Amino acid sequence: MRRLKMPQVPWDVLSSLTVMVVQYSLLYMIFAVPLTLSYRTTKVINFVHSNFVTYGAYAAILLNGLYGNRNMLLAAALAFTVSGGIAVLNNVAVFRPLDKKGAKPVALMISSMGLWIFYKYLLYTIIDLATYFSRINFVSYPKIVYEWIPSLSLGSVKLSSSFIATSLSAAAMIAGLYALLEKTNLGRAMRAVSDNPTLSEISGIPRHMVVNLTWLIAGGIAGVGGVLWTSYAGSITPEAGDSMILQIFTVGFIGGLSSLTRTCIGAVLVASIENYGITLLNQFFGVETSYKPFLTFITLITTLVVSPPLGAGGGLPYKLFRRAGRSA
Amino acid sequence: MPNILEVRDLAKYFGGVRALDGVTISVPEKSIVGLIGPNGSGKTTLFNVVTGFYEPTRGEVLLRDDDGSVERIDGLNPNEVFLKGVVRTFQVPRLFTSLTVLENVLVTPPVQIGERVLDAPFKSRWEKQERELARKAVGLLKRFGMGDYVYSRVTELSVAHIKLLETIRGLMTSATLYLLDEPAAGVDYGVARELFNYIRGLREEGLTFFIVEHRLDVLMDYVDYVYVLHNGKLLSEGKPSEVVNDPKVIEAYIGG
Amino acid sequence: MPEFDLLGFLIQWLTIFGLYSILAITLNLEAGFAGLTNFGKVVFYGIGAYVGATLTTYLTLHLNNVDPFEYPPYSIDGIVKLIELGGKSPPLSIGLLALSLIIAFIAAGSVGFLLTYPILRVGPAFVGFTLLSFGELMRVFLRHYEPVGGSKGLAAIPRPFSWVGDPKLSGFLFLLLVLGLVAFTYITMDRLTNSPIGRVFRAVRDDEIAALCLGKHVPRIKALTLFIGSGFSGMAGALMAYYFTSVNPDMFVPAVTFNVWAMVILGGMGNFTGSIIGVALFTLVDRLLAFITPTLGVTAISPDYIRWMFVGLLIVIVLLFMPKGLLAERPLKTPAADEARKLLAEGVGSAQHT
Repeated sequence: MRRLKMPQVPWDVLSSLTVMVVQYSLLYMIFAVPLTLSYRTTKVINFVHSNFVTYGAYAAILLNGLYGNRNMLLAAALAFTVSGGIAVLNNVAVFRPLDKKGAKPVALMISSMGLWIFYKYLLYTIIDLATYFSRINFVSYPKIVYEWIPSLSLGSVKLSSSFIATSLSAAAMIAGLYALLEKTNLGRAMRAVSDNPTLSEISGIPRHMVVNLTWLIAGGIAGVGGVLWTSYAGSITPEAGDSMILQIFTVGFIGGLSSLTRTCIGAVLVASIENYGITLLNQFFGVETSYKPFLTFITLITTLVVSPPLGAGGGLPYKLFRRAGRSA
Repeated sequence: MPNILEVRDLAKYFGGVRALDGVTISVPEKSIVGLIGPNGSGKTTLFNVVTGFYEPTRGEVLLRDDDGSVERIDGLNPNEVFLKGVVRTFQVPRLFTSLTVLENVLVTPPVQIGERVLDAPFKSRWEKQERELARKAVGLLKRFGMGDYVYSRVTELSVAHIKLLETIRGLMTSATLYLLDEPAAGVDYGVARELFNYIRGLREEGLTFFIVEHRLDVLMDYVDYVYVLHNGKLLSEGKPSEVVNDPKVIEAYIGG
Repeated sequence: MPEFDLLGFLIQWLTIFGLYSILAITLNLEAGFAGLTNFGKVVFYGIGAYVGATLTTYLTLHLNNVDPFEYPPYSIDGIVKLIELGGKSPPLSIGLLALSLIIAFIAAGSVGFLLTYPILRVGPAFVGFTLLSFGELMRVFLRHYEPVGGSKGLAAIPRPFSWVGDPKLSGFLFLLLVLGLVAFTYITMDRLTNSPIGRVFRAVRDDEIAALCLGKHVPRIKALTLFIGSGFSGMAGALMAYYFTSVNPDMFVPAVTFNVWAMVILGGMGNFTGSIIGVALFTLVDRLLAFITPTLGVTAISPDYIRWMFVGLLIVIVLLFMPKGLLAERPLKTPAADEARKLLAEGVGSAQHT
């Protein structure tokens, strides 16, 4: 009789999986923290957020494909400007006028959906034109290898240059936002606007300026996230942002669209659940890895049922669960 | 008079904030009871717990039925609390802005045949009831001097009429207890008194009122009993004349 | 240019118009009246389409004594058999049509009903997003689920009227069916919204918290609305499967949802006639584009993308400059207003004063 072999824990698989989870956590933070930031100040649920990511990625790709740029800082600067600019433009041209006309939050959300479609196909058109004139395939673009960014090996664990760049960016974002929100007048004004939109003029900074700056920062960070994505994903398509919208919004919802700290925790949670979860299901039950979004969706549903983001998005004071054993 | 509403040792914490911390209140049947206190003292939170918006952290809310039986209502959902006969109005009035005054009033009656989805497409099944309810609604609106506004959109009404309408809405049911959150806010003195005269009239007909109000000059002339909340706790209670002269209350209002 | 076939064009256009009308009318019920921002309209449409397609193909094979597991309808053999068998027996075709419509209604409606559970307490933003992402999940599932053909989907779905022979006549009969369902949807929704329950829908849309405090079971009303809206969308989906004789996951992209939203917003939220006008305009432009595009030849810019950019911009522009759409919401029509008028006309004298 043969003895049953204990299944070996494949340490190298586990460690590379963990590196992947960490990288996804950091990427989701960079994608979702600006979503929370913009929502709590502006109260617009912004579907264009996924365009911010895609436009950021394509800023880097066009710069790389057309001009051979491999400098990540340059790409990030352009991406910040493009996505941040779009965000401010949306606010000035659409959200603020709607708000002034007394439109309901639902109307703002629907308008953001319209903008989302518009920007998505505008990008497709731009890419088509770029492909047509340059004869480079921009519709599915390979990963960009940026210069000057080192990669590291810690024993058997390999940290790619993309990982290093993502970690540095996430650290910079967290430090920057902390400094901005806690230490500057502008940051205090941003928090004041999110806490109480009507009373916020007190801080001396006009409300519409605070809102515009919030949009610039939110769009810009998401755009930089797109640049990081170009250094990580196998290939980049114009669907890059849309394909992650479920994850990004779920992370934001876990943060209640109000707390940046909880958004960061949400990023770790979503990245862990979907990557560890699907690997387990794949190993033991043969579930295909393309079912990964189902895990995220279950996380989303669980969040909505167990800890619904009530204060932020409006909501119904209706209890689904009752305390047991209460009667007169 | 037996108590229609009793709140016993009620507490509601939000994280570390103790919005209500051990409040006990009784509202006798057919009375007008006032609830006052500085901003942030927990008045609206108390209303929210009683009407099912929040579950209390501790304590209980008891409601007396028509037939005299007493029932715990804390933890029920707002729609269930309403069906037990408790009507509430809001600090910022919540009317249905796309509906007319008449339709706003007609939303209230609980058992409408035409609200059942399988009956709704067939007018013949609910038309009779609808016409009866309409007659009742018009009667009520006329009685409160709003006969001219039956077809108006609620966005065209004055603040006083909006406040009045929120209360009239509740009269379409057999509700017995009314929780009014600042009914006199935003209306001038004369109108506020008129509003409270109506309330007094309804009390004579057997309804009970529990009223949060900042306008003490108006409130104190109408209430039978007053509770004073301060930082989530009861600071004082008693007849209006006793409460206004309570040094603790004076201090809280001036200091708070 | 090929000779223009006006009758064929009209049948094609009106059929598409009819299918989209059902979606637009029900979306208007959900979003325009009850305030449910359903960004997942395509889910229920897709469920109906797949129910219709699966039932019809499998049962056509099975009832003709072909083992659908030996000749699955997504395989070449199955498709050959389906083409052979389709349209042979009028009672079978009509029976399958009726069954598909009923099951499509129940299946799509139930999914809609169940999906309201997680979104009961959260604001419209979360409702929209949850339904949107559910649609994407459905596509992932369909792409990998072999029995419904995976990413290739199902094809050669036997049409309900193919036994007629003449394709134009069978197309016309199908059009009558579609328009009949549109009329049924329109009348049902119009009656529902002009009744006491319609009043509650509007109340929930205006202020759901106030409605809840007035004793209305808001969660049940939302679930019911989504059940009805989704059920009718499911029937439209089943009919669509017959019309195109095939279904595949890429027919049910979020873009379909946005198309319907654009139609409803253009036509006017809270007005069913407006929705129908919106659908007519949109589908007409699309049909014309379908004629014009091939004549443009190869261009650097895809007319399809331009069309979508226009759809997105249209939504924004209508919201900004014409928020009520082409036709504004009509006031509620119940006998109450009429009764009140009579009573007020009777004069002040007879009114009771206390």
